[in-house]
Amino acid sequence: MSDTRLLDQGTQPIRFARGWHCLGLASDFADGKPHAIHGFGTKLVVWQGASGELNVLDGYCRHMGGDLTQGEVKGDNIACPFHDWRWGGDGKCKEIPYARRVPLRARTQRYETVVRNGQLLIWHDPEGSAADHDILPPELPDVMTDRYTPWSWNTREINGSHCRELIDNVADMAHFYYVHFAFPTSFRNIFDGHTATQFMESKGRPDTMGGGYGDENSTLKSVATYYGPSYMINWLEVDYKGFITEVILINCHIPTGPDSFLLQYGITVKKPEGLDEKACAYIAERYTESFGDGFLQDVAIWENKVAVQNPLLCEEDGPVYQLRRWYEQFYVDVADIAPEMTDRFEFEVDTTKANEYWHAEVAENLAKRAAAEAAAPADA
Amino acid sequence: MASFVPTSEETLEDLRRYTEDRLVDVACLDCLARVRVKKNSEHQTSVQWSAEARSACQEFVRRDQRPGGRDVHKPCTRLMASIDDAVRAGAVSVGAYDGY
Ligand code: FES
Ligand SMILES: [Fe+2]
Repeated sequence: MSDTRLLDQGTQPIRFARGWHCLGLASDFADGKPHAIHGFGTKLVVWQGASGELNVLDGYCRHMGGDLTQGEVKGDNIACPFHDWRWGGDGKCKEIPYARRVPLRARTQRYETVVRNGQLLIWHDPEGSAADHDILPPELPDVMTDRYTPWSWNTREINGSHCRELIDNVADMAHFYYVHFAFPTSFRNIFDGHTATQFMESKGRPDTMGGGYGDENSTLKSVATYYGPSYMINWLEVDYKGFITEVILINCHIPTGPDSFLLQYGITVKKPEGLDEKACAYIAERYTESFGDGFLQDVAIWENKVAVQNPLLCEEDGPVYQLRRWYEQFYVDVADIAPEMTDRFEFEVDTTKANEYWHAEVAENLAKRAAAEAAAPADA
Repeated sequence: MASFVPTSEETLEDLRRYTEDRLVDVACLDCLARVRVKKNSEHQTSVQWSAEARSACQEFVRRDQRPGGRDVHKPCTRLMASIDDAVRAGAVSVGAYDGY
Protein backbone atom coordinates (compact mmCIF):
# COMPACT_ATOMS: atom_id res chain seq x y z
CA MET A 1 0.00 0.00 0.00
CA SER A 2 1.29 3.41 -0.88
CA ASP A 3 1.29 6.38 1.50
CA THR A 4 0.88 8.77 -1.39
CA ARG A 5 -2.10 10.99 -0.93
CA LEU A 6 -4.49 11.02 -3.85
CA LEU A 7 -6.50 13.97 -5.05
CA ASP A 8 -10.17 13.11 -5.08
CA GLN A 9 -11.59 15.34 -7.79
CA GLY A 10 -15.11 14.17 -7.02
CA THR A 11 -17.99 14.61 -9.39
CA GLN A 12 -19.73 17.91 -9.83
CA PRO A 13 -23.37 18.41 -9.04
CA ILE A 14 -25.83 18.10 -11.88
CA ARG A 15 -28.09 20.73 -10.44
CA PHE A 16 -27.74 24.43 -9.77
CA ALA A 17 -28.02 25.99 -6.33
CA ARG A 18 -31.30 26.97 -4.76
CA GLY A 19 -31.47 30.60 -3.69
CA TRP A 20 -31.45 34.23 -4.71
CA HIS A 21 -29.16 35.10 -7.60
CA CYS A 22 -28.31 38.57 -8.80
CA LEU A 23 -28.56 39.28 -12.52
CA GLY A 24 -27.08 42.77 -12.43
CA LEU A 25 -28.13 46.38 -11.90
CA ALA A 26 -31.88 46.82 -12.29
CA SER A 27 -31.33 50.06 -14.21
CA ASP A 28 -29.41 48.19 -16.90
CA PHE A 29 -32.56 46.23 -17.78
CA ALA A 30 -34.96 49.17 -17.69
CA ASP A 31 -34.86 50.26 -21.33
CA GLY A 32 -37.93 48.45 -22.65
CA LYS A 33 -35.78 45.98 -24.58
CA PRO A 34 -35.25 42.27 -23.99
CA HIS A 35 -31.95 41.28 -22.40
CA ALA A 36 -30.22 37.92 -22.51
CA ILE A 37 -28.58 36.48 -19.40
CA HIS A 38 -26.98 33.06 -19.50
CA GLY A 39 -27.73 31.14 -16.33
CA PHE A 40 -28.67 27.74 -14.91
CA GLY A 41 -27.70 25.92 -18.07
CA THR A 42 -29.99 28.00 -20.25
CA LYS A 43 -30.57 31.55 -21.42
CA LEU A 44 -32.93 33.86 -19.58
CA VAL A 45 -34.83 36.80 -20.99
CA VAL A 46 -35.10 39.90 -18.83
CA TRP A 47 -37.29 42.85 -19.69
CA GLN A 48 -39.18 45.75 -18.21
CA GLY A 49 -42.82 45.88 -19.19
CA ALA A 50 -44.83 49.04 -19.88
CA SER A 51 -46.01 49.13 -16.26
CA GLY A 52 -42.43 49.21 -15.02
CA GLU A 53 -42.09 45.68 -13.60
CA LEU A 54 -38.93 43.72 -14.30
CA ASN A 55 -39.64 40.19 -15.54
CA VAL A 56 -37.50 37.12 -16.02
CA LEU A 57 -38.45 34.04 -18.04
CA ASP A 58 -36.62 31.17 -19.61
CA GLY A 59 -35.30 32.60 -22.86
CA TYR A 60 -36.75 29.97 -25.18
CA CYS A 61 -40.33 30.12 -26.36
CA ARG A 62 -42.48 27.09 -25.50
CA HIS A 63 -44.12 27.21 -28.93
CA MET A 64 -41.30 26.23 -31.27
CA GLY A 65 -38.25 27.24 -29.25
CA GLY A 66 -37.82 30.79 -30.57
CA ASP A 67 -35.26 32.98 -28.82
CA LEU A 68 -37.23 35.48 -26.75
CA THR A 69 -34.16 37.56 -26.06
CA GLN A 70 -34.27 38.53 -29.73
CA GLY A 71 -37.97 39.37 -29.51
CA GLU A 72 -39.67 42.62 -28.72
CA VAL A 73 -41.37 44.07 -25.67
CA LYS A 74 -45.02 44.67 -26.48
CA GLY A 75 -46.90 46.30 -23.62
CA ASP A 76 -46.09 44.27 -20.53
CA ASN A 77 -45.23 41.15 -22.50
CA ILE A 78 -42.30 39.77 -24.38
CA ALA A 79 -43.15 38.83 -27.97
CA CYS A 80 -41.33 35.98 -29.65
CA PRO A 81 -39.57 36.84 -32.92
CA PHE A 82 -40.67 33.55 -34.53
CA HIS A 83 -44.52 33.68 -34.40
CA ASP A 84 -45.24 36.60 -32.08
CA TRP A 85 -46.57 34.62 -29.13
CA ARG A 86 -46.78 37.09 -26.21
CA TRP A 87 -45.49 35.93 -22.83
CA GLY A 88 -46.25 37.70 -19.55
CA GLY A 89 -43.97 38.07 -16.54
CA ASP A 90 -46.10 35.47 -14.73
CA GLY A 91 -44.95 32.87 -17.23
CA LYS A 92 -48.30 32.56 -19.03
CA CYS A 93 -48.82 33.10 -22.71
CA LYS A 94 -51.17 36.08 -22.88
CA GLU A 95 -51.88 36.27 -26.56
CA ILE A 96 -51.27 34.55 -29.87
CA PRO A 97 -52.25 37.21 -32.39
CA TYR A 98 -53.15 34.71 -35.14
CA ALA A 99 -54.96 32.15 -32.98
CA ARG A 100 -58.54 31.75 -31.80
CA ARG A 101 -57.40 30.89 -28.30
CA VAL A 102 -54.29 30.40 -26.19
CA PRO A 103 -53.67 26.83 -25.01
CA LEU A 104 -54.13 26.59 -21.26
CA ARG A 105 -50.88 24.71 -20.99
CA ALA A 106 -48.93 27.63 -22.44
CA ARG A 107 -46.84 28.30 -19.37
CA THR A 108 -43.11 28.72 -19.32
CA GLN A 109 -40.44 28.84 -16.62
CA ARG A 110 -40.63 32.12 -14.78
CA TYR A 111 -38.37 33.44 -12.04
CA GLU A 112 -39.62 35.50 -9.13
CA THR A 113 -37.86 38.85 -9.05
CA VAL A 114 -36.94 41.36 -6.38
CA VAL A 115 -35.04 44.59 -6.75
CA ARG A 116 -32.72 44.97 -3.80
CA ASN A 117 -30.09 47.68 -3.37
CA GLY A 118 -30.63 48.62 -7.00
CA GLN A 119 -29.95 45.09 -8.23
CA LEU A 120 -32.23 42.58 -9.86
CA LEU A 121 -32.39 39.30 -7.91
CA ILE A 122 -34.19 36.16 -8.98
CA TRP A 123 -35.15 33.04 -7.08
CA HIS A 124 -33.90 29.77 -8.50
CA ASP A 125 -34.95 26.38 -7.14
CA PRO A 126 -34.75 23.10 -9.04
CA GLU A 127 -37.64 21.89 -6.87
CA GLY A 128 -39.78 24.81 -8.01
CA SER A 129 -40.61 26.22 -4.58
CA ALA A 130 -42.01 29.73 -4.07
CA ALA A 131 -39.37 32.37 -3.45
CA ASP A 132 -38.24 32.70 0.17
CA HIS A 133 -38.26 36.42 0.90
CA ASP A 134 -37.03 35.88 4.46
CA ILE A 135 -33.55 35.03 3.23
CA LEU A 136 -33.04 37.95 0.88
CA PRO A 137 -29.81 39.86 1.37
CA PRO A 138 -30.36 42.88 3.63
CA GLU A 139 -31.07 46.36 2.36
CA LEU A 140 -28.05 48.61 2.60
CA PRO A 141 -28.94 51.86 4.32
CA ASP A 142 -27.99 55.03 2.39
CA VAL A 143 -26.65 53.13 -0.59
CA MET A 144 -28.26 54.53 -3.76
CA THR A 145 -28.56 57.95 -2.08
CA ASP A 146 -26.16 60.84 -2.62
CA ARG A 147 -24.14 59.67 0.40
CA TYR A 148 -22.65 56.87 -1.71
CA THR A 149 -21.18 56.82 -5.20
CA PRO A 150 -23.37 55.04 -7.77
CA TRP A 151 -22.74 51.30 -8.21
CA SER A 152 -19.83 50.60 -10.48
CA TRP A 153 -20.76 47.21 -11.92
CA ASN A 154 -18.60 44.65 -13.70
CA THR A 155 -18.97 41.14 -15.03
CA ARG A 156 -16.59 38.39 -15.98
CA GLU A 157 -17.19 34.95 -17.46
CA ILE A 158 -15.32 32.11 -15.77
CA ASN A 159 -14.93 28.88 -17.69
CA GLY A 160 -13.60 25.53 -16.52
CA SER A 161 -14.36 26.05 -12.82
CA HIS A 162 -17.35 25.24 -10.68
CA CYS A 163 -18.50 28.27 -8.70
CA ARG A 164 -17.62 26.45 -5.48
CA GLU A 165 -14.03 27.55 -6.16
CA LEU A 166 -15.18 31.10 -5.56
CA ILE A 167 -16.98 30.11 -2.35
CA ASP A 168 -13.84 28.35 -1.03
CA ASN A 169 -12.20 31.78 -0.75
CA VAL A 170 -14.39 32.49 2.28
CA ALA A 171 -12.32 30.11 4.42
CA ASP A 172 -8.96 30.57 2.70
CA MET A 173 -6.69 32.64 4.92
CA ALA A 174 -3.31 31.94 3.34
CA HIS A 175 -4.24 32.77 -0.26
CA PHE A 176 -4.59 36.41 0.77
CA TYR A 177 -0.82 36.50 1.22
CA TYR A 178 0.16 34.53 -1.88
CA VAL A 179 -2.54 35.52 -4.35
CA HIS A 180 -3.67 38.93 -3.11
CA PHE A 181 -0.37 40.10 -1.63
CA ALA A 182 -1.60 40.99 1.83
CA PHE A 183 -0.85 39.90 5.39
CA PRO A 184 -4.11 38.60 6.87
CA THR A 185 -3.50 39.54 10.50
CA SER A 186 -6.88 38.44 11.82
CA PHE A 187 -9.19 35.86 10.27
CA ARG A 188 -12.47 34.35 11.44
CA ASN A 189 -15.41 32.53 9.91
CA ILE A 190 -18.97 32.10 11.05
CA PHE A 191 -21.44 29.92 9.20
CA ASP A 192 -25.00 30.18 10.42
CA GLY A 193 -28.20 29.14 8.66
CA HIS A 194 -28.04 30.42 5.10
CA THR A 195 -25.18 32.84 5.78
CA ALA A 196 -21.42 32.37 5.72
CA THR A 197 -19.19 35.16 6.94
CA GLN A 198 -15.51 35.94 6.79
CA PHE A 199 -13.95 38.55 9.05
CA MET A 200 -10.51 39.64 8.08
CA GLU A 201 -8.03 42.34 8.87
CA SER A 202 -5.16 42.66 6.51
CA LYS A 203 -2.27 44.86 5.53
CA GLY A 204 -0.66 45.14 2.11
CA ARG A 205 2.75 43.58 1.43
CA PRO A 206 5.56 46.09 0.83
CA ASP A 207 7.46 43.74 -1.50
CA THR A 208 4.83 43.41 -4.22
CA MET A 209 3.10 45.69 -6.64
CA GLY A 210 -0.05 46.95 -4.86
CA GLY A 211 -3.48 46.27 -6.29
CA GLY A 212 -6.57 45.35 -4.26
CA TYR A 213 -5.52 44.00 -0.89
CA GLY A 214 -1.84 44.37 -1.62
CA ASP A 215 -1.14 48.08 -1.28
CA GLU A 216 1.47 48.43 1.41
CA ASN A 217 -0.01 51.75 2.53
CA SER A 218 -3.41 50.36 3.25
CA THR A 219 -4.90 48.39 6.10
CA LEU A 220 -8.20 46.69 5.59
CA LYS A 221 -11.01 45.64 7.86
CA SER A 222 -13.34 43.40 5.98
CA VAL A 223 -16.64 41.70 6.84
CA ALA A 224 -17.94 39.59 3.99
CA THR A 225 -21.18 37.63 4.22
CA TYR A 226 -22.74 35.27 1.73
CA TYR A 227 -26.52 35.45 1.93
CA GLY A 228 -27.31 32.14 0.31
CA PRO A 229 -25.18 30.42 -2.33
CA SER A 230 -24.25 33.28 -4.59
CA TYR A 231 -24.62 36.78 -3.19
CA MET A 232 -21.99 38.27 -0.93
CA ILE A 233 -21.93 41.69 0.68
CA ASN A 234 -18.43 42.75 1.66
CA TRP A 235 -18.17 45.73 3.97
CA LEU A 236 -14.66 47.13 3.77
CA GLU A 237 -13.03 49.79 5.82
CA VAL A 238 -9.86 50.85 4.11
CA ASP A 239 -7.28 52.86 6.01
CA TYR A 240 -4.97 54.44 3.47
CA LYS A 241 -2.23 56.38 5.26
CA GLY A 242 -4.73 57.33 7.94
CA PHE A 243 -7.48 58.29 5.49
CA ILE A 244 -10.44 56.00 6.06
CA THR A 245 -12.84 55.03 3.31
CA GLU A 246 -15.91 52.84 3.62
CA VAL A 247 -16.40 50.64 0.61
CA ILE A 248 -19.17 48.16 -0.08
CA LEU A 249 -18.34 45.41 -2.51
CA ILE A 250 -20.99 43.08 -3.90
CA ASN A 251 -19.55 39.81 -5.10
CA CYS A 252 -22.11 37.60 -6.78
CA HIS A 253 -22.41 35.09 -9.55
CA ILE A 254 -24.79 33.12 -11.70
CA PRO A 255 -23.86 29.54 -12.57
CA THR A 256 -24.06 29.16 -16.33
CA GLY A 257 -23.08 25.50 -16.81
CA PRO A 258 -21.68 22.58 -14.79
CA ASP A 259 -18.25 24.19 -14.69
CA SER A 260 -18.76 27.80 -15.65
CA PHE A 261 -20.24 30.89 -14.08
CA LEU A 262 -20.68 34.57 -14.61
CA LEU A 263 -18.91 36.54 -11.89
CA GLN A 264 -20.36 39.96 -11.16
CA TYR A 265 -19.05 42.57 -8.77
CA GLY A 266 -20.23 46.00 -7.87
CA ILE A 267 -18.62 48.71 -5.82
CA THR A 268 -20.02 51.72 -4.02
CA VAL A 269 -18.03 54.07 -1.85
CA LYS A 270 -19.33 56.19 0.99
CA LYS A 271 -18.44 59.70 -0.09
CA PRO A 272 -15.78 61.01 2.26
CA GLU A 273 -16.73 64.33 3.81
CA GLY A 274 -15.15 67.40 2.28
CA LEU A 275 -14.47 65.80 -1.09
CA ASP A 276 -16.19 67.00 -4.25
CA GLU A 277 -18.06 64.72 -6.65
CA LYS A 278 -15.11 64.40 -8.97
CA ALA A 279 -12.75 63.27 -6.24
CA CYS A 280 -15.35 60.79 -4.94
CA ALA A 281 -15.86 59.36 -8.42
CA TYR A 282 -12.10 59.05 -8.79
CA ILE A 283 -11.77 57.14 -5.50
CA ALA A 284 -14.62 54.80 -6.51
CA GLU A 285 -12.93 54.12 -9.83
CA ARG A 286 -9.63 53.28 -8.15
CA TYR A 287 -11.32 50.81 -5.80
CA THR A 288 -13.24 49.24 -8.65
CA GLU A 289 -10.01 48.77 -10.52
CA SER A 290 -8.09 47.37 -7.59
CA PHE A 291 -10.78 44.92 -6.45
CA GLY A 292 -11.30 43.95 -10.07
CA ASP A 293 -7.57 43.13 -10.15
CA GLY A 294 -8.11 41.12 -6.98
CA PHE A 295 -10.67 38.92 -8.70
CA LEU A 296 -8.36 38.44 -11.66
CA GLN A 297 -5.71 37.13 -9.27
CA ASP A 298 -8.18 34.46 -8.15
CA VAL A 299 -9.28 33.72 -11.70
CA ALA A 300 -5.71 32.94 -12.76
CA ILE A 301 -5.59 30.28 -10.03
CA TRP A 302 -9.02 28.80 -10.79
CA GLU A 303 -8.36 28.51 -14.48
CA ASN A 304 -5.37 26.28 -13.83
CA LYS A 305 -6.21 24.28 -10.74
CA VAL A 306 -8.18 21.07 -10.48
CA ALA A 307 -11.27 20.46 -8.41
CA VAL A 308 -10.52 18.77 -5.09
CA GLN A 309 -13.01 17.01 -2.92
CA ASN A 310 -10.50 16.08 -0.22
CA PRO A 311 -8.35 19.13 0.53
CA LEU A 312 -5.45 18.39 2.86
CA LEU A 313 -5.27 21.03 5.55
CA CYS A 314 -2.69 22.42 7.93
CA GLU A 315 -3.20 24.23 11.20
CA GLU A 316 -3.15 27.67 9.64
CA ASP A 317 -5.93 26.88 7.17
CA GLY A 318 -9.53 27.90 7.55
CA PRO A 319 -12.51 25.54 7.87
CA VAL A 320 -12.90 24.47 4.24
CA TYR A 321 -14.80 21.28 5.07
CA GLN A 322 -17.31 23.08 7.26
CA LEU A 323 -17.74 25.78 4.61
CA ARG A 324 -18.50 23.19 1.96
CA ARG A 325 -20.85 21.40 4.32
CA TRP A 326 -22.69 24.73 4.65
CA TYR A 327 -22.67 25.23 0.86
CA GLU A 328 -24.13 21.75 0.32
CA GLN A 329 -27.51 22.88 1.75
CA PHE A 330 -28.21 24.75 -1.49
CA TYR A 331 -27.66 21.65 -3.64
CA VAL A 332 -29.89 19.14 -1.89
CA ASP A 333 -33.67 19.02 -1.74
CA VAL A 334 -35.03 21.08 1.13
CA ALA A 335 -36.20 17.84 2.76
CA ASP A 336 -32.60 16.57 2.72
CA ILE A 337 -30.94 19.54 4.42
CA ALA A 338 -29.08 18.00 7.36
CA PRO A 339 -28.79 19.94 10.64
CA GLU A 340 -25.00 20.19 10.38
CA MET A 341 -25.33 22.07 7.07
CA THR A 342 -27.09 24.98 8.75
CA ASP A 343 -25.96 24.68 12.38
CA ARG A 344 -23.87 27.60 13.47
CA PHE A 345 -20.13 27.04 13.29
CA GLU A 346 -17.40 29.48 14.32
CA PHE A 347 -13.73 29.25 13.55
CA GLU A 348 -10.88 31.55 14.40
CA VAL A 349 -7.64 31.00 12.51
CA ASP A 350 -4.42 31.44 14.42
CA THR A 351 -2.49 33.80 12.14
CA THR A 352 0.46 34.48 14.45
CA LYS A 353 2.98 31.91 13.15
CA ALA A 354 2.03 32.48 9.52
CA ASN A 355 2.59 36.20 9.84
CA GLU A 356 5.95 35.66 11.54
CA TYR A 357 7.13 33.55 8.57
CA TRP A 358 5.66 35.93 6.04
CA HIS A 359 7.24 39.00 7.56
CA ALA A 360 10.61 37.27 7.50
CA GLU A 361 10.10 36.33 3.84
CA VAL A 362 9.08 39.84 2.90
CA ALA A 363 12.07 41.32 4.73
CA GLU A 364 14.30 38.96 2.78
CA ASN A 365 12.66 39.96 -0.51
CA LEU A 366 13.14 43.63 0.28
CA ALA A 367 16.79 43.06 1.18
CA LYS A 368 17.35 41.18 -2.10
CA ARG A 369 15.71 43.95 -4.05
CA ALA A 370 17.81 46.61 -2.30
CA ALA A 371 20.97 44.61 -3.03
CA ALA A 372 20.01 44.25 -6.70
CA GLU A 373 19.33 47.97 -6.98
CA ALA A 374 22.65 48.80 -5.33
CA ALA A 375 24.46 46.50 -7.77
CA ALA A 376 22.75 47.95 -10.87
CA PRO A 377 24.55 50.70 -12.76
CA ALA A 378 23.48 54.11 -11.49
CA ASP A 379 22.22 55.32 -14.86
CA ALA A 380 19.98 52.27 -15.57
CA MET B 1 -28.70 12.88 -2.43
CA ALA B 2 -25.27 14.40 -2.12
CA SER B 3 -24.40 16.93 -4.76
CA PHE B 4 -20.62 17.03 -4.75
CA VAL B 5 -19.85 13.35 -4.70
CA PRO B 6 -16.47 12.13 -3.46
CA THR B 7 -15.05 9.22 -5.39
CA SER B 8 -13.14 7.73 -2.48
CA GLU B 9 -14.07 6.36 0.93
CA GLU B 10 -11.10 8.14 2.45
CA THR B 11 -12.61 11.48 1.55
CA LEU B 12 -15.51 10.73 3.86
CA GLU B 13 -13.04 9.81 6.56
CA ASP B 14 -11.31 13.19 6.04
CA LEU B 15 -14.64 14.94 6.30
CA ARG B 16 -15.28 13.21 9.61
CA ARG B 17 -11.77 13.92 10.85
CA TYR B 18 -11.93 17.63 10.06
CA THR B 19 -15.47 18.27 11.22
CA GLU B 20 -16.01 15.89 14.15
CA ASP B 21 -12.71 14.79 15.72
CA ARG B 22 -11.71 16.02 19.14
CA LEU B 23 -14.69 18.25 19.74
CA VAL B 24 -15.25 18.69 23.48
CA ASP B 25 -18.49 19.76 25.17
CA VAL B 26 -18.46 23.18 26.79
CA ALA B 27 -21.44 24.69 28.61
CA CYS B 28 -22.04 28.42 28.65
CA LEU B 29 -21.74 29.81 32.17
CA ASP B 30 -24.55 32.29 31.54
CA CYS B 31 -27.20 30.40 29.60
CA LEU B 32 -28.26 26.87 28.73
CA ALA B 33 -26.23 26.64 25.54
CA ARG B 34 -23.88 23.66 25.23
CA VAL B 35 -21.48 23.74 22.31
CA ARG B 36 -18.62 21.57 21.08
CA VAL B 37 -15.17 23.08 21.01
CA LYS B 38 -11.77 22.29 19.57
CA LYS B 39 -8.58 24.27 20.03
CA ASN B 40 -5.54 23.65 17.84
CA SER B 41 -3.58 26.43 19.48
CA GLU B 42 -4.03 29.25 21.91
CA HIS B 43 -5.49 31.53 19.24
CA GLN B 44 -7.33 28.92 17.20
CA THR B 45 -10.82 27.94 18.23
CA SER B 46 -13.61 25.96 16.54
CA VAL B 47 -17.09 26.22 17.99
CA GLN B 48 -19.78 23.86 16.79
CA TRP B 49 -23.29 24.92 17.76
CA SER B 50 -26.49 22.92 17.58
CA ALA B 51 -29.89 24.41 16.80
CA GLU B 52 -30.84 23.88 20.44
CA ALA B 53 -27.81 25.76 21.75
CA ARG B 54 -28.25 28.47 19.14
CA SER B 55 -31.74 29.24 20.38
CA ALA B 56 -30.70 29.06 24.05
CA CYS B 57 -28.16 31.86 23.66
CA GLN B 58 -29.80 35.06 24.86
CA GLU B 59 -27.21 37.26 23.19
CA PHE B 60 -28.15 35.80 19.79
CA VAL B 61 -31.85 36.09 20.53
CA ARG B 62 -31.36 39.80 21.18
CA ARG B 63 -29.30 40.28 18.05
CA ASP B 64 -31.67 38.30 15.83
CA GLN B 65 -34.33 40.86 16.60
CA ARG B 66 -32.25 43.51 14.86
CA PRO B 67 -32.52 42.41 11.25
CA GLY B 68 -29.84 43.06 8.70
CA GLY B 69 -27.35 44.01 11.41
CA ARG B 70 -23.80 42.99 10.81
CA ASP B 71 -23.21 42.10 14.46
CA VAL B 72 -25.53 39.10 14.01
CA HIS B 73 -22.46 37.32 12.74
CA LYS B 74 -20.19 37.97 15.71
CA PRO B 75 -19.48 35.39 18.41
CA CYS B 76 -21.29 35.51 21.74
CA THR B 77 -18.92 37.16 24.22
CA ARG B 78 -20.29 35.15 27.18
CA LEU B 79 -19.76 31.86 25.42
CA MET B 80 -16.25 32.88 24.42
CA ALA B 81 -15.49 33.70 28.05
CA SER B 82 -16.92 30.33 29.09
CA ILE B 83 -14.61 28.59 26.62
CA ASP B 84 -11.61 30.48 27.98
CA ASP B 85 -12.60 29.28 31.44
CA ALA B 86 -12.90 25.68 30.26
CA VAL B 87 -9.45 25.92 28.68
CA ARG B 88 -7.96 27.30 31.89
CA ALA B 89 -9.61 24.52 33.86
CA GLY B 90 -8.02 21.98 31.52
CA ALA B 91 -11.36 20.69 30.17
CA VAL B 92 -10.39 21.62 26.61
CA SER B 93 -6.92 20.56 25.57
CA VAL B 94 -4.94 22.84 23.30
CA GLY B 95 -2.97 21.45 20.39
CA ALA B 96 -3.27 20.11 16.89
CA TYR B 97 -3.01 16.55 15.69
CA ASP B 98 -1.06 16.06 12.43
CA GLY B 99 -1.60 19.63 11.44
CA TYR B 100 -5.23 19.90 12.40
S1 FES C 1 -41.49 29.82 -31.39
FE1 FES C 1 -42.11 31.51 -30.27
S2 FES C 1 -43.89 32.10 -31.24
FE2 FES C 1 -43.39 30.35 -32.31
FE1 LIG D 1 -9.32 35.42 -3.47
